[in-house]
Amino acid sequence: MNVREPVRNRTARLLALCGVGVFLAVWCALSYGGLVPRIILPSPSDVLQAFPVLHFQEALVRSAGASFYRVMMGFLLAAAVAIPLGLVMGTFPAVKHFFSPMLDPLRFLPISALVPLFIVWFGIDDLQKIVFLFVGIVVYLLPLVVEAVEGVEEVYLQTATTLGATRGQLVRHVLIPGSMPAIGEALRVMNGIGWTYVILAEVINAPYGLGALITVAGKRSHVDQIFALVIVILAIGVVTDQVIRFVNKRLFAWAG
Amino acid sequence: MAKQLTPLGRFLLILCGLSLVGYGAYRYGLFGKLARTVAPERKQEGVVSKDDFGSTSSTTPGSTSSTRTTSGPVSGGSRLGRPLRVAIVLWGGYAGGIMANGGMAANKNSTFYKDFGIEVELLQIDDFVKSRDAFRAGGDKGGVDIIWSTVDAYALEYGGLEKLRPKAIMQYDWSRGGDAIAVDASIKSVADLRGKKLACAQETPSHYFGLYVLSQGGLSNRDVNWVFTDSAVDAANVFKAGKVDAAVSWSPDVYVAAREREGGHILASTKEASNLIADIFVARGDLVENHPEDVRRFVGGWLKGVEMVRQNPTRAATLLQTSLTGVNSLDDAKAMLDDVKLPDYAENRAFFDQGGSLVNYHSIYQTAQNIWRKIGKISSVEAPKNTMDTRFLDAAAEWFAGATTVKPEFEFKAPAKPQAESILTKTVSIYFPSGSSTLDENAKAVLDTQVVDLAATFGSSYMRIAGNTDNVGSREANVRLSQARAEAVRRYLNTKGFAGNKFQVVGNGPDKPVADNGSDEGRAKNRRTDFEVVPQS
Repeated sequence: MNVREPVRNRTARLLALCGVGVFLAVWCALSYGGLVPRIILPSPSDVLQAFPVLHFQEALVRSAGASFYRVMMGFLLAAAVAIPLGLVMGTFPAVKHFFSPMLDPLRFLPISALVPLFIVWFGIDDLQKIVFLFVGIVVYLLPLVVEAVEGVEEVYLQTATTLGATRGQLVRHVLIPGSMPAIGEALRVMNGIGWTYVILAEVINAPYGLGALITVAGKRSHVDQIFALVIVILAIGVVTDQVIRFVNKRLFAWAG
Repeated sequence: MAKQLTPLGRFLLILCGLSLVGYGAYRYGLFGKLARTVAPERKQEGVVSKDDFGSTSSTTPGSTSSTRTTSGPVSGGSRLGRPLRVAIVLWGGYAGGIMANGGMAANKNSTFYKDFGIEVELLQIDDFVKSRDAFRAGGDKGGVDIIWSTVDAYALEYGGLEKLRPKAIMQYDWSRGGDAIAVDASIKSVADLRGKKLACAQETPSHYFGLYVLSQGGLSNRDVNWVFTDSAVDAANVFKAGKVDAAVSWSPDVYVAAREREGGHILASTKEASNLIADIFVARGDLVENHPEDVRRFVGGWLKGVEMVRQNPTRAATLLQTSLTGVNSLDDAKAMLDDVKLPDYAENRAFFDQGGSLVNYHSIYQTAQNIWRKIGKISSVEAPKNTMDTRFLDAAAEWFAGATTVKPEFEFKAPAKPQAESILTKTVSIYFPSGSSTLDENAKAVLDTQVVDLAATFGSSYMRIAGNTDNVGSREANVRLSQARAEAVRRYLNTKGFAGNKFQVVGNGPDKPVADNGSDEGRAKNRRTDFEVVPQS
């Protein structure tokens, strides 16, 4: 294997399969082999058996739907705010300097500490959960968008200027299209962030929700259900990731 | 002549076809069926009503195990050879152990070590889930050997912990004011909670306390809109922020919330429901089996610490303040001690004895288990005796010579004031033969299951027994009869060991109907006995 030696598609798929296989084998060995007590690490069959219970008694699908809705709304809201704002900030350093003392520290925001405040401000219904996810996502998304705009190569701007482009044309025809592939990639990465916050978002009054289900399963020491729910979230994550990847590829095929 | 369809035409045609099929499916309810299959609703909760509490004689259907011996002497096994690790939380009920240990860390100057030959390390783990994680890991692997629980919560989590073969080994406190319901200005009694938003941390003692108070006040779990939060603190905060009408939570948050919200006040607390929330220690099966002598010494040392707290409460408060994280002042620590009652050795023995106290481990566990099963939180059940191990309490007798009798705990120096407001009213139909005030065996059984438990659970409160009749016959005769019947009920209840002044008797006759006297059904509803819980002071 050389550094950055390319791998053929078939080999790549084979390797991926092997990775999963090894992971499952280790899991089986640890749980069935009795190396780790079942109450700490449930076996694959324990986890499989948790699915029907979750489906028929705990409304798994409805919960997944509810969580998906919240994460998506938070995500779209964050995109709707971060993309225009980031474009402006990336285009005009003056604007960036105006906002940065307030926005830069936000990345260190211990958002879990804000849960009680969000309840006071936004109530206990879906609004509170969506706004919470929005804040969680937007603080990471915004810097990425700014970076994407700043990453558009100077040479394109210069060329356009030489050709007589106005300020508006520079933004419309150079900066926006030039930064879009990187923004698309940023959106793909940020899609995952929402799911990491879903438990915190659903600590209160979530009759349906994967995060709420995980909380309850944890309280009751149902480790098998926790694993099953985590698998559901991972599956949703992988699928949405693939969808965004596909869309990005279609839209920005030229970016290679 | 066939004409080629344009793409738009083809699209419209397909759209028409699809909408026809869709409408048909909708008409025949296929969508509903599909939705129920693909995404079934959560299983609906059963109804929890007043009959679900207190009927301790009910059997345990489908018990998952038959006999598991938990009696007999403490013998065999080896000594642990390291400090026993115990998970506790910010709560006054641990005063006994903290006193016996002289703090949290394992040390050789403690009563635990000097008088009982055991080192104990107390670990404050306020997060419930993390304490359970530590329990699963076990004391050998950096976790804990013993966790705190409450009998009601233990009945709920037992299934999840069953693989560890856990055993309840002792009771360290009764919550006495530690759990409470804060309500807004519009709510004066439990009945006013109907249709209101009630917040609490799901599947916790708060949840249980809420279910209990609702059901005894004539409501069911479906009569309120539950708002479930992750922690009790969250429930109190939601109430404080005005987002719900009521919240069940615990001290001190619930009191702070009630004080800080405009018009907020406490509807009921475990000060009145004095014998409902029992805090217990639960030990891992491997500890109980392999190191029983250490468990015996732990139980003995802890209860010795309870005696020390009783002798020197100020020192106990000081130690609580310095040991636990989150106690801001000595006054805080004293308030925490006021929120609990620390049972001594004799009271512990009576608590775990099925025929000991009126409200005991078995009755609470059984009742709680039925409740959780009814609202679909658990599916398998266990006989209470299989979930506990009293050998250690029994074998600790050598350290508590003479401590065998349990004195009545509550005093009722004067009778209740007739105008005193009740916080909840439980309505019971007791059958009397026409014109008579004699209780037959059937009526006594009704009192045993429906009233004795209520009176014992609200151990510190007065109870007003109000007899009511329908409007058949003269008013004077009916008032006299209802008074005599209420009196008969009181005489019977007094044979159960309640203090004389606890009960107050009222004969309302036909004056307080709850239904229309014009129908048989209404008259039957009006012939009833109301048991009103009236807090002291």
